[in-house]
Amino acid sequence: MADTTTQVGDPPQQQPPSGWGRLPMIPGPWETLQLAWRRLRRMSTALVVLFSIAVATIVATFIPQEPLVPDTVARWRAGTAGPGASIAAIFDGAELFDVFGSWWFATLTVLLLVSLTGCLIPRYRAFWRTVRRPPTAGRNLGRLRNHAVIRTTLPPDAALAEVDTVLAGRRFRRRWIDATTTSSGHPQLAAERGHWREGGNLLFHSAFYVLLIGVGIAQSFGFAGQINVVEGGTFTETRIVYGNIRAGQYFGIDDHRGFEVRLDDFDATYHPNGTPDDFVSTVTIVDDGEVVRERVPVRVNQPLRHDGVKLFQLRFGMAPHIIVRAGDTVLYDDRVMLGNNSGVWTGTAKVKTSSPQQIALDIALLPDFAVDDRGRPFSRSERPDDPVLFADLWVGELGLQRAVDASRFIRDGEPVASTTLVPGTTSEQLVGNLTVEFVEVPLWSGFQVSHAPGRWVMLGGSVLLLAGLVASLYAYRRRVWAEAHPGADGVTSVVLAGVALQRKVVFADAFAALVGAVRSALPVAGETAVQETPMTDAHHG
Amino acid sequence: MAELSDTLFYVALGLYVLAMVGYFFAMAFTRVSVDGVIASTRAGDRAGRIATGLAVGGVSVHLGSSLLRGLDTGRIPLGNMFEYSSVIALLAVAGGLVFVQARLRHIHLMGFVLAAAVLMMGSGWLLFVPAGPLVPALESYWFNIHVTAMVSSAAVFLLAFLATALYLARDTAERRVAARSGAGYRSGTVGAASVDVADHDTATATTTVVSPLELRRVLSPVWFVLVPAVLLGLYGTEGGARGAVGGALIGGGLGAWAWYALPHLPAAAELDALAYRITAFAMPIYTFGVICGAIWAEEAWGRYWGWDPKETGAFFTWILYAAYLHARATHGWRGRRAAWVGVAAYVALLVTYFVVNLVVVGLHSYAT
Repeated sequence: MADTTTQVGDPPQQQPPSGWGRLPMIPGPWETLQLAWRRLRRMSTALVVLFSIAVATIVATFIPQEPLVPDTVARWRAGTAGPGASIAAIFDGAELFDVFGSWWFATLTVLLLVSLTGCLIPRYRAFWRTVRRPPTAGRNLGRLRNHAVIRTTLPPDAALAEVDTVLAGRRFRRRWIDATTTSSGHPQLAAERGHWREGGNLLFHSAFYVLLIGVGIAQSFGFAGQINVVEGGTFTETRIVYGNIRAGQYFGIDDHRGFEVRLDDFDATYHPNGTPDDFVSTVTIVDDGEVVRERVPVRVNQPLRHDGVKLFQLRFGMAPHIIVRAGDTVLYDDRVMLGNNSGVWTGTAKVKTSSPQQIALDIALLPDFAVDDRGRPFSRSERPDDPVLFADLWVGELGLQRAVDASRFIRDGEPVASTTLVPGTTSEQLVGNLTVEFVEVPLWSGFQVSHAPGRWVMLGGSVLLLAGLVASLYAYRRRVWAEAHPGADGVTSVVLAGVALQRKVVFADAFAALVGAVRSALPVAGETAVQETPMTDAHHG
Repeated sequence: MAELSDTLFYVALGLYVLAMVGYFFAMAFTRVSVDGVIASTRAGDRAGRIATGLAVGGVSVHLGSSLLRGLDTGRIPLGNMFEYSSVIALLAVAGGLVFVQARLRHIHLMGFVLAAAVLMMGSGWLLFVPAGPLVPALESYWFNIHVTAMVSSAAVFLLAFLATALYLARDTAERRVAARSGAGYRSGTVGAASVDVADHDTATATTTVVSPLELRRVLSPVWFVLVPAVLLGLYGTEGGARGAVGGALIGGGLGAWAWYALPHLPAAAELDALAYRITAFAMPIYTFGVICGAIWAEEAWGRYWGWDPKETGAFFTWILYAAYLHARATHGWRGRRAAWVGVAAYVALLVTYFVVNLVVVGLHSYAT
């Protein structure tokens, strides 16, 4: 981004007529706009916006973000966690629970982009001019700090041609200048390199537009949803099956692929010390009634791709198979997906949702049952080696017909009965003729399913960004001139001189190396003189 | 092999501490004359050589420790915070030896590099994890590339931070000396900052007007001791009262040392140019690391960026370093202001590294 402070000085316009005294000039709307635009384009403004974005990210780190942890945000709003409900309401007003989706974060981003655009356009123009302009002729080569004279037996033109080859090998852009136009009256070779510095700079900044386009494509044309399946279960890739779905504006319901995904198996293996070793879902995909992918493993870091949709391993859990009977009538026969609640797997089974006698089971499962010193049960590990299931039976008006999460049914007083079961056992009759059977513990697997079409654009943008960054930091502008002065004795003096616009100390070495290379390319007559004169570098072109 | 690796870790830590003391001696036996000529004495030369030998030995042993850990676990030794801290310290010392000492001949900066490495290793040691396999989420070659880039850039940023912090100290001293002596302030804060225009030419042209020992006199050692002592003491409270006292002592010692080193340090303009060059070296590596992290996130979780606390922190740090690089090319920001941005950026890096891992829960909470 250009620092345009030097351009601020406006040409004096609308001088107040003499006799009016010195009234302060009030800028009109157009001047105000111009002033604002100029301000916005300044690098210091860009820096302030950059810092504001940085501050916003700090806020987002320390205030829970709704897209990430909706439960925590709900607790902050209710006042059961965080600084209290009234402060949470203020946060809500400022959209602090969703910083990266808030209007003010969008405004900051737009401001930064406008500022960036304002900086880039003039710089693109200037860069275009600079790149197309051939290297300028040098004057008073002998007065430059980096300067050497090589005496050679070659005639002037042949000597300069040799220098040209050396410079070409060092990737300099060269230009031959006729003797009539140089100040010394001798033919000159002007060379320069390092335009990649500014080019890289522009590339780096332009890459942000590419990244932004990538984000836009992904957000508008993609989707991401999450789904949990029990072993042996199947889901169809449609909008309705997903919980927590984010679909782009242009990814319609009909754009879902509609293939079927069957979870054949889920395996979790552990190291002897209990740390996880491998989680793998074995998945079969059925498309149009045909098995297209059979028993494919899906792991963390090993997603499954089908029809432009990717399936990622996200989480897993226990899903005990439970049968509830009233006498011989089966009321409920299903696998209940449980969630991990700090070592205890808990969940709810909606056994009977029709009034008046609604029935629900609160389930807690310890996968590797043990009893600690104080007689309290706990789970030794995550492996279902020795599962024990605790079930609380609730009967009555439980509100199970409501459209809320099953686990939030109305619990009034105490459960009517409780039972403890191991796999393959059935409880005695609990209330009336109700029995609960605990068959076995299958596992469930949670997937993230997504279609992200902008990924390659993003990747391309990232590569451009990195390439531009490296070039802008490590390319250096250098100018070199060579002149051949014919001598009376048939000896040509080749004058080499160079100027560095950055890293001058390093250039002194590079120039010496260049002189060495030229010297070995020419048949040398006599000594080479490398002169160090404490003159300024400004006497050229 | 794991035991041997741990033993070598402690040996390396010990060697670093000794090397640090050696560099300190080398500085104490280096005379700064009234007219600013820095001349090492015989004893100083010897101490410097011994310290260099110790540091090189420490790096070799340390490398052995990391390699053995890798061999033992069958993966790159970058899987938890202990290993990260260890490798960051290793790379910082190695980079300091190669670049700061061998190439630039700033031997008096090396003691600070070693002190920082020792602190980094000490923090890692508090988070010690026995050698073991990775959790499944981390088994990806993108992960390997990602952490390697992140750890390398963190080590280089550490060097940049030292140069920036010492620049701020030295610059303050130079300004005060100039103000007191009534001489125009010729030291090149402005000149040095404009690397694109002047770079080292100005740095070498800078001549200290007054006796360099004035630099020590114009700054009170009390602040130099107090501020780092309080900061490191507070950090040490994590390890209880003893940790707090230990942290305060180390911080105070380092501060006192920085004060004593003021005349020995390179000129402010040179330190500033050094800080910029090191940061410019680290920034592409860091950017590459963040990009690899995003690719890995896409592979593992199906989204390349999710504003997870760690991702947010990395973004924040990147923004601040970008601001630092921009600030150095902006009128009114060059010099001290840009340097403060650089300090803030490094603090952000530390917070992202330590605090987000240990305190804020997210996908990257792999500390334990």
